[in-house]
Amino acid sequence: MNVLAGIPQDFLGGTFYILRENYPLYIEGVKYTLLIATLGTLFGLLLSLFLTALRIQETSNKDGLKERFIKRFFVMISSSYVEFFRGTPMMVQAMIFFYGFARMGLRMPIIIAGLVVVSLNTAAYLTEVLRAGINGIDKGQMEAARAIGLSRAKALRYVIFPQALKNMLPAIGNELVVNIKDTAVLSVIGVSELFYMGKSVAGTYYRYTEAFVLVALVYLVIVIIMTRLLSFIVKKVNHKEVHLPMSQSIPIEVN
Amino acid sequence: MTILRTNQIVKSFDGVTVLHDISVGFEAGTVTSIIGPSGSGKSTFLRTLNQLEEIESGSVFFYDEDITKKASDLNHLRTKIGMVFQSFHLFNNMSVLENCTIGQIKVLKRTPIEAKEHALLYLKKVGMAAFANRNASQLSGGQKQRVAIARMLSMDPDILLFDEPTSSLDPEMVGEVLDVMKQIMNEDLTCIVVTHEMDFAKEVSDRILFMDQGRIALDGSVEEVFNDANNVRIAQFLHRMR
Ligand SMILES: Nc1ncnc2c1ncn2[C@@H]1O[C@H](COP(=O)(O)OP(=O)(O)OP(=O)(O)O)[C@@H](O)[C@H]1O
Ligand SMILES: [Mg+2]
Repeated sequence: MNVLAGIPQDFLGGTFYILRENYPLYIEGVKYTLLIATLGTLFGLLLSLFLTALRIQETSNKDGLKERFIKRFFVMISSSYVEFFRGTPMMVQAMIFFYGFARMGLRMPIIIAGLVVVSLNTAAYLTEVLRAGINGIDKGQMEAARAIGLSRAKALRYVIFPQALKNMLPAIGNELVVNIKDTAVLSVIGVSELFYMGKSVAGTYYRYTEAFVLVALVYLVIVIIMTRLLSFIVKKVNHKEVHLPMSQSIPIEVN
Repeated sequence: MTILRTNQIVKSFDGVTVLHDISVGFEAGTVTSIIGPSGSGKSTFLRTLNQLEEIESGSVFFYDEDITKKASDLNHLRTKIGMVFQSFHLFNNMSVLENCTIGQIKVLKRTPIEAKEHALLYLKKVGMAAFANRNASQLSGGQKQRVAIARMLSMDPDILLFDEPTSSLDPEMVGEVLDVMKQIMNEDLTCIVVTHEMDFAKEVSDRILFMDQGRIALDGSVEEVFNDANNVRIAQFLHRMR
């Protein structure tokens, strides 16, 4: 049967026809888009914590040559990583990553390759955000943590990172939304996310406008829902922090 | 017995020496107040005692151990040398109780239950037990500083360092913090207090150090230091404090 036979010629008719006939494909695409975007943001966040820990080294004049070298090396790794991933398009990274590994005989499932590329990118961006977030935290927090004997690592883990993460929650949410849109570039390696599905539907009917207007609408709906959800979460988290006015005449009970 | 002792410590920032060859010891059970003009190096000196500030030369001994040595276990040593800061620095992401248990659990390896009991003991002592579950950021300045004192005491330190604990408080809250400190000092704990509260210093101190331009200019009893008519600098300083 010729698929082109049944489709109305006008724009609206065509659009509704495509939607009716192909909505399972769009849903399938949304599933991959959301999966890769969410997991990619999450893994990226975890990796960014690690990269940030490498990046912010404190120097001591007790450090020997070896310590100095190691610290410099860690800082270099972390900053070159960020520079590379911030400085090249994700589409290009996806190509290099996927075909590069394939050439080395390592064929990973396309979706995994896509997820890795998104995670690595997110990590680079969030490392920058986290670093700014940490710089914004009062130096006294670290000092107080060290003063009760917490190591630098423990101070970061229990005192500094939780505060920085809370401050950067809006930025993490923003990155999630960006990822939802940017997963589209993974279609170059054949990840069957929303954009890829749109392209294949469009190709079936030779009706690019209709197919991609639908794609755009679906992106828009997801992004709007996601944005609302995120700002709700941010409000919720920050709500606990509201500065309650305190009576200053609370009687002191020293006994 | 000498708990903490410095031997010819030198410290500079960007080539400017702010501590010149300071050698001084602190005896168990005594309260020492450090007074002196702004910029004389009081905070810097105090911070070298728990090595929050590294020194260029000299050494700091905790009992017999030189804590400036590379091999020294600073994290462990710092649990023994408590510190209270001018601007409290309570951990903003934790409740009052957690502020007082985190160090016990993560450094001293106490169980959460032990740590909590211990923390509540000291929170009660500073009059903040009722606020145990509050977020640290919801407290007034005076309350924050009392919690910071409980946080320090929860680690069972051998010596307590206070850096102008009331200087960033509104006047009406100074009293509640000083009262808590007096109570601690009555319990034979070893304290070093940098302070601008002269009446408080006179009342609680066994010994006064007057710091001036990175040196200890005077070292003696309250009587000796406050009544040293020969020293122009302390006379000027005390005059300005009034
Ligand atoms: N981190 C730093 N970097 C550069 N200079 C510093 C630093 N900390 C302190 N200084 C300088 O060292 C000198 C001593 O400072 P310090 O804070 O120890 O004085 P202080 O006696 O505590 O003064 P105040 O009564 O104002 O607290 C000052 O000249 C100060 O500017
Ligand atoms: Mg000071």
